[in-house]
Formats: sequence, C-alpha cells, structure tokens
Amino acid sequence: MLQIESSNLLLEKTIRECLSTEIESLKGIQRTFTDFDFTTYQVSNSTAKHLVVVSIYVKCWSDLVNYGVEEYLEAKYAKFNKVLQKIETEAGYDFSFVLDLSVAQKEDVEFKEELVSELANLKRNSIAAPFEKAFSRYDELAETYANSNVYSEEVKQELENESILTINYRGLDESIYIKPSFDRVTVIFSTIFKDETDKIFGRVFLQEFVDARRRTVQTAPQVLYSHIEPPLDIRNVIQGRADDNKGYVTFVLFPRHLVKGDRRQNCISHIQFFRNYFHYHIKCAKAYMHSRMRFRVKEFLKVLNRAKPENVDDEGKLIENRKTASGRRFEVGRG
Amino acid sequence: MASMGTPAVVMDNGTGLTKLGFAGNDSPSFIFPTAIATSTLGGKSTKSSASNSSSFLASKRGLEDLDFFIGDEALSAANGSNYSLSYPVKHGQIENWDHMERFWENSIFKYLRCEPEDHYFLMTEPPLNPPENRESTAEIMFESFNCAGLYIAVQAVLALAASWTSSKANRTLTGTVIDSGDGVTHVIPVAEGYVIGGAIKNIPLAGRDITLFIQSILRDRGEVDTTLQTAEKIKQQFCYVCPDIVKEFKKFDQYPEEKFAQYIVEYTDKNKTNTVDVGYERFLAPEIFFNPEIASSDYLTPLPTVVDQVIQASPIDVRKNLYKNIVLSGGSTMFTSFGKRLQRDLKGLVDERIQLSERLTGNKSSGVKVEVISHKKQRNAVWFGGSLLAQTPEFKSYCYTKQDYDEYGPSIVRNFSLFSVPS
Repeated sequence: MLQIESSNLLLEKTIRECLSTEIESLKGIQRTFTDFDFTTYQVSNSTAKHLVVVSIYVKCWSDLVNYGVEEYLEAKYAKFNKVLQKIETEAGYDFSFVLDLSVAQKEDVEFKEELVSELANLKRNSIAAPFEKAFSRYDELAETYANSNVYSEEVKQELENESILTINYRGLDESIYIKPSFDRVTVIFSTIFKDETDKIFGRVFLQEFVDARRRTVQTAPQVLYSHIEPPLDIRNVIQGRADDNKGYVTFVLFPRHLVKGDRRQNCISHIQFFRNYFHYHIKCAKAYMHSRMRFRVKEFLKVLNRAKPENVDDEGKLIENRKTASGRRFEVGRG
Repeated sequence: MASMGTPAVVMDNGTGLTKLGFAGNDSPSFIFPTAIATSTLGGKSTKSSASNSSSFLASKRGLEDLDFFIGDEALSAANGSNYSLSYPVKHGQIENWDHMERFWENSIFKYLRCEPEDHYFLMTEPPLNPPENRESTAEIMFESFNCAGLYIAVQAVLALAASWTSSKANRTLTGTVIDSGDGVTHVIPVAEGYVIGGAIKNIPLAGRDITLFIQSILRDRGEVDTTLQTAEKIKQQFCYVCPDIVKEFKKFDQYPEEKFAQYIVEYTDKNKTNTVDVGYERFLAPEIFFNPEIASSDYLTPLPTVVDQVIQASPIDVRKNLYKNIVLSGGSTMFTSFGKRLQRDLKGLVDERIQLSERLTGNKSSGVKVEVISHKKQRNAVWFGGSLLAQTPEFKSYCYTKQDYDEYGPSIVRNFSLFSVPS
C-alpha cells in the first residue's frame, strides 16, 4: 500500500451492510470508530431501525465552520436529499446526517454505490471545504490580476496581505495554512515529531520528494522543508509555541494542479492526507529497517556459531565437534 | 496528552483469524484471516541492494516492502503467481516478526485508519507466551509505531471478562476457560487473573474436525454436494448438542418431519441449486467433544473429563471457584445447549467422586457447585472482553506509555498490573 485512501473503509463497510440487509432483519447498530487526526464517527439506529444516523466529529471543526464547511457539505450531499438529510447534531459530534434506509434500499445499484462512496469520504469532504474556498479565491485573484503588472509594488503589497486560511487540524501545534495568490496556492503543513528518530527519517523522506521532482516527475508541486523556522509566508499567523520537534512542509500548487474538475478534487484528496501519508511512510521505513536488522542479526549469529574455537582434548588432539550453521551439533553415540 | 479522547484499539491476532476494532463497540470492526501475501518478484532486487554500499539505497531500492496484502485480500492475491501467502502466527504465537510487523502496519493504517501515536492499544497473547515474545511485540509497537500506550492481555483472562455480560456470571477473574476455535481446543484455569500454567490441557479436536466429520457423513450417504463449504454451513445452521444420543436417534425415527432438515446449496451461478439432506449429523457432529471415539481413533478423552482433570490439577484452594465459573469462548462452543450438556456431564463426574469420598470417610460433603456460563458474545469472546476492559476509564492507567518504554526498555512489558475487579 503506497497511498492512503481518502475514504474510510469501515464507514464504507458499515453503510454498505445497512443498505444490503433487509430492514426487518437489521439489528441495532451502535458503532463508534475513528479516522486520522482525532476524527470520530458514530453510526447508530437507535430511534428507528430504518433511520441510520451518521455523525462525525472533527477536531478542527470550529476552524472549518469559518470556511463554510456546513454549506459545503450540504451542497455536496444535496443530490442524495431523497434519502439523506442533515439533522440536529448529536451531542459530542459536529455534524449529523440521517439516512432513510426504507427509501434508499429501493434505489438502483449505481445510486447506492455513489452514496456509499460519498459518505465514506465524509472526512475528506469536511476538510475539503477550506481548500475549495482557497482555490476559488485563487480563481478570483487570477482573474483580477490577469492583465495587470504583477511585479509592481502595490500589487505585491496587496497579495502579501491576502488572508491566510488556517486549519488547526491536530490542535494548536499542528496546522495547515493555505495562502491563495494569483498564480499559485501555497499549502503549508506544520507537524510535530514525537520521536527523535522520526525527525531524521522525515528529513530523508522529504529529501526524496525534492529529488524525485528533479529526476522524473517534473509536474509535481514544489516541496520545501524547513525545520523549527516557519516559512516567511506564515510567520505572522503562527500559533502555538516554537518547538524543536516542529517541521514545516510547504507545497506550492501551480495552475496546472488547480484545473477545475477532477484534477482539483484529486489534488484536494491527496494534499489533505499528506500528514498521514508522511507519518505512515516514516513508520514503514522503520519497519523495513527492522526487518533488515533482524536479517543481519541472524547472519551474524551464523558467523559467530561457526567461529567458536574448536575443542581440543588433553593430548592436544582435536575432538570432532562439527556444527551446522544454526549451531546444532551432530552428536554421535550419546543420548 | 492529546490522545486521551480517542478510543483504544483492540487487536486480537489468532492463529486463524484476526479481530480488529475499537474499544466500546460490541463486535470487532474487522475479522479476517491472519494471512499476509508478499511479493515474490522483488525478493531478488532487495538482496542485491543489500549487498551494495548503503549510499543512495533509496534510489536503488524498489518498493517491495510496501507491496503486500493482508487478510482476505491476501488470499485472493495469492491466487496469482506474483504473491506468496504466509501465516505469521503459528499455534497462537507469532513466528515471523517481519511479516507480523507489516501485518500490523497495514491493519492500523489501512483498515482501522488511525494514527498509532494518538491511540492506546490492547493486544492479546496466548497463555504460556514466552516473555521474549511480549518484548518483541512491545518493541514493534513502541519503536515502529510510536503507539501512545500498550497493554498486553492473556486471551483466557479476556474471555473471562467477556462472560460478565451474562446475567449468571459473578464478576470475578477466577474460572476455567474453554476456548475452542478452528484448530485446537484449550482448557485453561485462571485464578484471580493469573493463568495456572501447569494445569492447561489441549484437546486436538475443534471446529475443523467437526466440519470434516460432517463431510465424511455426507460422503458416506452419497449426497450430491459434499464440499467443505457445505459441511461448514450445515455445522453453523443445523447442529446442536443433544442430552442423550440413543433418545435422540429415537426422536429422529419418531418425528422425521421435524428433525430431518434440508439444506439448499447456492452456487455463484444463480440458476443452479442443489439440495442436501441433513440427518443425524445434526447432533452427532458436536457429539465428538463428548464421545470423541465416534470421529477419532487416537484421541479418546471426552471434554468433561478433561475439564475435570484440569481443575483437579490446579491448587486445591481455587478448585471450587474453578468449578463454579466455567466460561465458553470461541466459535466451536456456539452449539445450542453445549453448555448445558457440559455442565450435566461434569456434574456427574464430580458428584460421583463426592459420593465415593463420603462413603470412604463417612463425612458429609458440603457439595460442589458446577456452573457452565454461556453468553451471547462467545464467538469473539476474547475481543469483546478486550473491548469491555479497554473502554473503562482506568484502562489507560494500566497501560505502559511510550515514555515508560523509553525510560525502562522493552523488559517493562514482562509484567502488567491486572485489572481490578469492580465489585
């Protein structure tokens, strides 16, 4: 597995089960499960068997609300409004949908599949809201400045003052900053390494990003990495304390990544899971190192077993004492 | 710490099946085979790069270590020629740590989708697991995954905890656990949360043997479909434990309409179905626990006798409590009235011994209470017990955290404090 999928496998499985079992034989569902970055889902049908309530809790919801997540989600799921309605949010969660199975089960397969996959992407869609907003701001800016001299001081100043969208997706210490401009959108992640070795793995891994861009994938967005020091773009909006374990990863998205339609959606899906992808690969790298270490230890043990001094009896004659590679002996005439 | 609000992850890696899920739910989120399919193509290039100098390793090295599948996907991937299948857990214990590490990697990130740094983990281990294995588990969980906290629990103890859902159960951690899965049946005495290692007994009869027995009966009768899948389905849908074989045979002869059943085999090809008659195997199949001679020629001790032997081998001061709390766990204990039959047979054995001693000594015995506890969560009892314990607010205080691990090293996981039993 190279990529981390944007949809939640468990949510997908649960909804699919609900849609495919008869309502009469459906048991009470009460499931709580999580996604990356402290996201929690709850799926339950406590009020009535055919009404499945799907709730989501996202840590940075208060930030997302500023960027119009509720309207965005409602618009996104509007095509399912026959079966899926927004309801009053359950306590402890941020957003709730109710799914009417009695109607949904009568729909055709395609509709169901789309419903399942869109619901499974609930977290992705929530975090997508600020990205959408920043990207549409980029559209505006690109239009405004299409014919002006963008190198003039006033324009530079104006762009400088463009507001930065901040999402504190893992509390105050780890955030995403998005800054739209007329010819690019800059996305900056701040992340914290809990472990000393992670920092080193992280640096090597990000170096690969830079190298790969140079070598083969020239169309990839530019990636910059800085440690402790925040990049200039966001220096005045930084919250949280300065930390030795903090790193900043900057992506510069160019117009070719922001082409409206599938490509833009794809870009959002990939970039918002960057932190998870990053930490996942650090862990994979460590797992790989461990397997190499085990292999090495086994090899060394073999060498050690072979290298033991040969036994000599009192008269200085060699006692036949051969061993196999794993250190076992051929014992003759004993036992 | 930020990880306080997230539910703990409960992972139960069995020989056959892995159960994954979050604490607080009543069933595991994922149940799939503990299998991993690794790429066989990349094997060569990994070796060659290993012998090269280590610089620029990353550019030379492929991505073979990420090219694998686990669970059901592994089984289907292994049908092709590019992947080889292996089961990293053998006889309940982890044999191949390389594979297990990657198995966990995928279960956490792909299936559970959680950042291990944000979650506490509850893992299970078989009774008599060597402490070195615990250490290796901790090394992987803390060093590869940086998990927030870890608790390793013995499966039998979790099965006891799962029985607390039953109304009959008294919430203790003392009892005898009968754990019957697919491959082997264990009888494990547990006293106040500690497994009495010397008294554990294994029975080489379990779910698979029942299925094979049904299959052989179907073949003898010459049914149209005698595949293993059909036998498996018949086992799950029709089998039950009877109080007395002779009477049960009579009942079948008297009321054939009620007793004999038919199973309709469905195929992937929708138009084709077959009908298989289901007869005496309904009660004969689970009977192999109580009369093993009908299926096996080399193992002849009935289950109630084994349970009795196990309890007799335990220290004398806990025996009464072990008889009083016999807990079932695993899919092969799910047959209707399995518990009742076991309780009756065991009671018979115990009463016989009491009578003998009363006759010999002349003293009146106060009697021994035998109680077998069945409950609804038997199938995934171990996982469910883990989920119950891990959702309690105290759970995190019993775990070792990453800080503890960094301070003391892997040997810290050799001992875990036991859950205090709520009274």
